[in-house]
Amino acid sequence: MTQGSSARNVILLGIGIAVLIVLPMVVKSSFAIDIFIRILLFAFIGTAWNLMGGYAKQLSLGHAAYFGLGAYTSTILQIDYDVSPWIGMIAGGVVAALASLPIGWLCFRLRGPYFTIATIATAQALMLIFLKFRDFAWGAEGTTIPNLGTAPLMMQFESKSSYYYVVLGLLLVALLITWLIERSWIGYYLVAIGEDEDAAEAIGVNAPKMKRDIYMISAFLTALAGTFYTQYIYFIDPATAFSFNISIEAALVSIVGGIGTLWGPLIGTVLLETTSTLLQSWLGNSIGGVQLTVYSLILMAVILWRPTGLMGMIGEVRQRFAANKPARA
Amino acid sequence: MWETVAQAVINGLLIGGIYALVSIGVTLIFGVVKIVNFAQGEFVMIGMYISFFLANQFGIDPLLSLFVSMPVLFVAGVLIQHFLIRRVLGPNDMPQIFLTFALSLLLLNLALMLFTANYRTVHTSYSDEAFHVAGLYIPVAKLIAFVVAMLLSGLLWLFLHTTDLGKAMRAASQNRDVAMLMGINPNRVFCVALGIALALAGAAGSLLMPFYSAYPFVGQVFVLMAFVAVVLGTLGNVMGALIASLMMGVAESLGVQYVGADSGLIVVFALLLLTLAFKPTGLGGGRAR
Repeated sequence: MTQGSSARNVILLGIGIAVLIVLPMVVKSSFAIDIFIRILLFAFIGTAWNLMGGYAKQLSLGHAAYFGLGAYTSTILQIDYDVSPWIGMIAGGVVAALASLPIGWLCFRLRGPYFTIATIATAQALMLIFLKFRDFAWGAEGTTIPNLGTAPLMMQFESKSSYYYVVLGLLLVALLITWLIERSWIGYYLVAIGEDEDAAEAIGVNAPKMKRDIYMISAFLTALAGTFYTQYIYFIDPATAFSFNISIEAALVSIVGGIGTLWGPLIGTVLLETTSTLLQSWLGNSIGGVQLTVYSLILMAVILWRPTGLMGMIGEVRQRFAANKPARA
Repeated sequence: MWETVAQAVINGLLIGGIYALVSIGVTLIFGVVKIVNFAQGEFVMIGMYISFFLANQFGIDPLLSLFVSMPVLFVAGVLIQHFLIRRVLGPNDMPQIFLTFALSLLLLNLALMLFTANYRTVHTSYSDEAFHVAGLYIPVAKLIAFVVAMLLSGLLWLFLHTTDLGKAMRAASQNRDVAMLMGINPNRVFCVALGIALALAGAAGSLLMPFYSAYPFVGQVFVLMAFVAVVLGTLGNVMGALIASLMMGVAESLGVQYVGADSGLIVVFALLLLTLAFKPTGLGGGRAR
């Protein structure tokens, strides 16, 4: 990459971040801000998923496990021990990272599709366990989070735009981590594992350790999203916290946007969430299943025609553009 | 005492027959085409809705609608292989996993849109009938389902071991490259494998209809069981999947009897995780991927 294009990238990035920061000051509609929050939240979860699923191609469909563990850890700490969700959020991340060790130990014994199935099973098993823990975690009914009005120290705000900035911060951190990993030897090792695990091991990559470590980071980040979401909707129950839809969307936004790319999950989320919002305003909420029907059609189209996702398409357009340039000059 | 155990075992075996139809399909596809069909449960669901509508509109007995659901799903399987799965077969896992996963999402949510989330049941003359043998209670509908499931599994075994096409399928599952060198057309074999697997799922749906409700998510119950059975019975092994399915039916039923009503799934997941921890190649041993 030349000096000029990297300087341009930095400027573009600065403009992008500035726009994201100014956005809630300009757009006042709380409906719109709610959608922005959803986009940033799922982009964050997708980015966390992408670290393991995208670069190392360990295609998990069980990230709801960590989302739920994060949500429950911070909520239990908050309600039973009066611990601020900011601390609970980190605690939840640590719990999730620790939980990823035994779960990974089991699931990494399988490869390809059976790894995916094992991750689904572990997330479902965790949901069942939390359904059973009635006196420990409120069982199937779940619980509401006490509303304290504006209490920034307890991660509660009256204005939606404050939540917006929290999740924007989370997303920027996840993107920064991804960027650092992508550029370092870790990124290359992960991609090598994703391309061909046996070959990577043959040239000296410690694949089990790499997979374990990236799974921990991915789980940690996903758990932060769980805490945030619970604080945002003031409610927790096993069906929301361990919802299979979270696992699905984490993978979906990454694949549609561009698996194993820095910006893929964000771009994928913008496309999918915008589509889903437009559909909802057009059809209303009356018919169940519309959103996922459309998502699955988009997913199939991407897999059959553009497995590199939107980022791949953007790359192609850029190349064509670059190829045309000298001709014009 | 022994009667409750025996009753639980019988209940488990009877439902295990249905699990077997689903998991044999999954393992057949995995063995021959080397992909996991995440949508297998949705084809059970489609089989159920076919039987439901035939019973509701034309008064056709769900067991007779087997002769509709199986051919319809066989054709669907051939088309899905030819137009979708064939395009993603390659060294890359991602498209294979997420194509059938997208198919599963699509069918499930289409069903939700078209048929709503309501539970649909069909009442037949034998739905409430049962045999009482030595103090045990054996519902007729479940017994019929079990017997037909075992018959279909037996037919599949005969097909795989006696016909040329069946032998070609087993050859393709043992070593695809050598099979191709022997003149086996892989796409044709794959199409038939998908067709048979989906027809079995459709059969499972029709057989379930006299005693089970149809709803869009119904397939998920069965596909989870099937995935576990397929791991337990060694990936790609038809006989292993059959035996593992019956075992899982029994384990689930004993779990419900002795651990608690909603613990069936926990028992199943525990079995899966234990298998992964101690015998990742499955009980049959041999090769796992």
